[in-house]
Amino acid sequence: MAKAKDTKPVVTEKMYTVLTSPVVTEKSMMGSQNGQVTFRVPVEATKPEIKKAVEALFEVKVTAVNTVLTKGKTKRFKGVLGKRVDVKKAIVTLEEGQTIDVGASA
Amino acid sequence: MKVSVLKQDGLTRELEVTVPAATILKNVEAQLVIYGQKAKIPGFRPGKIPMPILKKNYGRMILGEVLDKTVQDSMANALREQDIRPAMQPKIALKDGESFDEGKDLVYTMTVEVLPTFEVMDLSKVDIEKPVAKVEDKVVQETLDRVAKSNRNFVKVESDRAAKLGDVVVVDFNGQTKEGVSLPGMSGKDMNVELGSGQLIPGFEDQLVGQKVGGHAHVDVTFPADYGVNELAGKPAIFHVDIKEIREAAETQIDNALAEKLGFENIDTLKDAVVKNIAEDYAQLSRLRLKRGLLDVLDSHHSFELPKGMVDMEYDSIVKQMEQEKKQAGEEITQADKDDLKPIAERRVRLGLVLAEIGRANKIEVQQEELYKAIYAEARKFPGQEQQVLEFYSKNPQVIESFRAPIYEDKVIDFILTKATVTEKEVSIDDLTAEEGEESLPTAEKPKKKASAKKKAE
Repeated sequence: MAKAKDTKPVVTEKMYTVLTSPVVTEKSMMGSQNGQVTFRVPVEATKPEIKKAVEALFEVKVTAVNTVLTKGKTKRFKGVLGKRVDVKKAIVTLEEGQTIDVGASA
Repeated sequence: MKVSVLKQDGLTRELEVTVPAATILKNVEAQLVIYGQKAKIPGFRPGKIPMPILKKNYGRMILGEVLDKTVQDSMANALREQDIRPAMQPKIALKDGESFDEGKDLVYTMTVEVLPTFEVMDLSKVDIEKPVAKVEDKVVQETLDRVAKSNRNFVKVESDRAAKLGDVVVVDFNGQTKEGVSLPGMSGKDMNVELGSGQLIPGFEDQLVGQKVGGHAHVDVTFPADYGVNELAGKPAIFHVDIKEIREAAETQIDNALAEKLGFENIDTLKDAVVKNIAEDYAQLSRLRLKRGLLDVLDSHHSFELPKGMVDMEYDSIVKQMEQEKKQAGEEITQADKDDLKPIAERRVRLGLVLAEIGRANKIEVQQEELYKAIYAEARKFPGQEQQVLEFYSKNPQVIESFRAPIYEDKVIDFILTKATVTEKEVSIDDLTAEEGEESLPTAEKPKKKASAKKKAE
């Protein structure tokens, strides 16, 4: 185990698809004070996947991943039912002292 | 902010100004906060955008603005610190060229020409003559005659006599060109034709001379080649003209009746009005002459080094003006002409500086009301359209500012005149106008008046 921790995580192609985009909003900015970073992720992404992807791509340590699955609204257009897409967000907590510069880099 | 003098040579100064990076950063952030109150970024309510995001989105733009402002401010500060009164806008050269990186000190050099310091001559020693002309009876009479003539009546001629030059004939006419073309406007009814006035096609009026009332004339004319209607220009044409009436000019007496017709009470008030009018014209002329004399005196009593930039600018502008005038006359501007202009440019600049200095030293300022007065006076020049003129000015404040300079100049001149000794000298009106004629020549003397005005406008 100790061995595995020291080695640098391997970046795989799939990791790039796991993190869709950073979420830059007032709400997401509130988390940044606690070392939390928010990402849009695919609905099918899992917490372990997200953790590995963030650790590998940004070279930081992740202590926790929380996800939110926001269901799309059902909408009615001329009597026909429709559904907006579901959206998954991942709030990633980094180890203390570490930061990821997303969206706010000058 | 640090200022160091690099070079000092005559009237030119070269300064190096350094603004520390911290000052700029502080300004940028202050600006960003203000800008952030209004900026809209998706995901944030206005005014709730955190600084890093603001900086990322608008940092570059704000930095540019702040740099601009910093340069302006520090420039003004540097000038004040060094006690320099600039003659013209200083030239600025950033040390790192146009690119500026955040976190570095802003360093630039500025080249500036200072206003020369000089002693204004003792104005009470100025001694000038003011040419004044009296309104002569002869001129009044001439004016009255002219007024009478332009208001004469035409009365119908009862006797059966032939039309002669100077008469007005009332005619019906109908014409066509020799090719048979007839256009509207080539026929008419009850038209008043003044014979010998030259209002119609050449030859038309002449051929009506000698006709009698009830007569019928064939008028054979050729339209001039530059006639307004293209189809008719240069074409021969025949007009059938019926003479219906002949009127002759009645001799107009300069009497109460004429005065009443013109809206005056009687002949005396009319005369007074004429005299007043002429006197006003004369007064204006003498003031112009006086002003010129005064400027001559000022010019000859002051000599000091002139800022080269100002002279060059003035010189360029008169050369350009002259070039245009020459072009219109179909001539080329020669080197000799250009050389002639050099002293004029210098004179203009010198007088501009002297007048400005006198104005400054004596705290002469142009009040807002005086500007308005000038605008109303301007508006009155366009009877019937006053409203539009006023509207135009209220929409274009920078045009109003252009009134400021001449008013200022006038006030300074007035001020000098109160100090100076002015002796009135009576001259004939011919003398007064004769030299005025010279003044209006484009090359020689005229520019002075405008010169100082322009200077201050800049």
